[in-house]
Amino acid sequence: MREIPNAADLLDTARELLRSELAPSLPPEQRHQALMIANAMVIARRQLEDGDAPEQRELAALGELFGLPLEVAPEQLQAELTQRNLLLCRAIRAGQADPGTVLHPAVQAALRMVYRAKVAQSNPRYLEGQP
Amino acid sequence: MDTSKRDALAGFITREAGARQVTVTHCERLSGGAIQENWRIQGSIDGGPHDGAFDYVLRTDAPSGVGGSHSRAEEFALLQAAFARGVTVPEPLWLCTDSTVLGRPFCLMRRAAGSAAGHLLVKDGKLGGDRKQLAWRLGCELARIHSIAPAPGQLAFLPHGDGAPALRLVRRYRNWLDTQPLPRPALEWGLRWLERNAPEGGKEVLCHRDYRTGNYLVDGDGLTAILDWEFAGWSDPLEDIGWFCAKCWRFGANEREAGGIGEREDFYRGYEEESGASLPRAQVHYWEVMAHMSWAIIALQQAARHSSGEERSLMLALTGHKVPELEFEILDMTAEA
Repeated sequence: MREIPNAADLLDTARELLRSELAPSLPPEQRHQALMIANAMVIARRQLEDGDAPEQRELAALGELFGLPLEVAPEQLQAELTQRNLLLCRAIRAGQADPGTVLHPAVQAALRMVYRAKVAQSNPRYLEGQP
Repeated sequence: MDTSKRDALAGFITREAGARQVTVTHCERLSGGAIQENWRIQGSIDGGPHDGAFDYVLRTDAPSGVGGSHSRAEEFALLQAAFARGVTVPEPLWLCTDSTVLGRPFCLMRRAAGSAAGHLLVKDGKLGGDRKQLAWRLGCELARIHSIAPAPGQLAFLPHGDGAPALRLVRRYRNWLDTQPLPRPALEWGLRWLERNAPEGGKEVLCHRDYRTGNYLVDGDGLTAILDWEFAGWSDPLEDIGWFCAKCWRFGANEREAGGIGEREDFYRGYEEESGASLPRAQVHYWEVMAHMSWAIIALQQAARHSSGEERSLMLALTGHKVPELEFEILDMTAEA
């Protein structure tokens, strides 16, 4: 049985039409808007493809920092992430992850990993040294 | 702009310009920020010291205002102070605080020629004249802005803060983050670094506080006007230097570290030659970190306006997606062994 095109495929295909056919034929202000739409579509497509894998990895990294479980049930993921990030923010603000502390290199590494993944979703060209 | 408003405007100009008669021939809405409405107004003045054709820009508030930026009267006062000091700004002409004329306060300034588009300027080498000269000039103008000494009471609406400007900003950003539902550890990390490494407060100067590529006009020969004074205020002069040179404001031309248009040393040299003092170069990195932090906070606030429903806008929504790269950059810039 053939799969009918899924969400990611639809977004990709529609975006391609927008960029290659529609945008070039529009006056400057409308072209700029069309390219913004195309950008929104590709970010949405990446989020669809990634699912909650990045957040699972974020949860595990924070779990390692604080000696907490490395996995939770999907319906608890968001709430647990918020809690752990709040914990981390308080620790950072209180100076508990300052240079010279045991936490410092682990927090630095965890944050780099988590935020690199966020950039990969919102603007992967940035990681190539492009805007 | 409807006929009755044009007539009201013509009447206003007639009175202010001491003219016999004023004809408004052309009104054109200019694309601008979300905070203001800008119009190009053309026509002719008959009699009085401004006799002849005119080409003005009218600035008024958009219906949806944004907190934290100045009123039209305040912005007008800033332009006057800058113009009087010899800073290259559009010449401020008249301020109208009487809402019966156009329904909202507005000001009129002489229109400066040129284009501000940052992404075009960094790509098109024909715009803006010689880039070495432009970088130097922008440094020179900034030093002049920082030398503005208002007369007693002249810019009294600008608050002086307590303690070091850097720490004031850290406090302000922490307070704002505390009002938000979701925690942002990369920004907390950056704020802790900014707190621990804060320079002591020194002499505060009048800072532009949005001095960057995109906020000045250039033509084929060079700089024609410095714009967007709505965030100006007293601060550490390096706040402006850091904002101008920050990687996030180079529009992708990362190797041209001064605003994506030129070399740092040309920009610094222009500043130093005008100010007569040398810039503490070692401190600039701190303020570039601060620049990324400030822009991240502003971008989050803009995204929040969309998400809250206050102003649904694709532009605001996508601005939220700039935040991860700013956070990533902050982590990179503050990495310590």
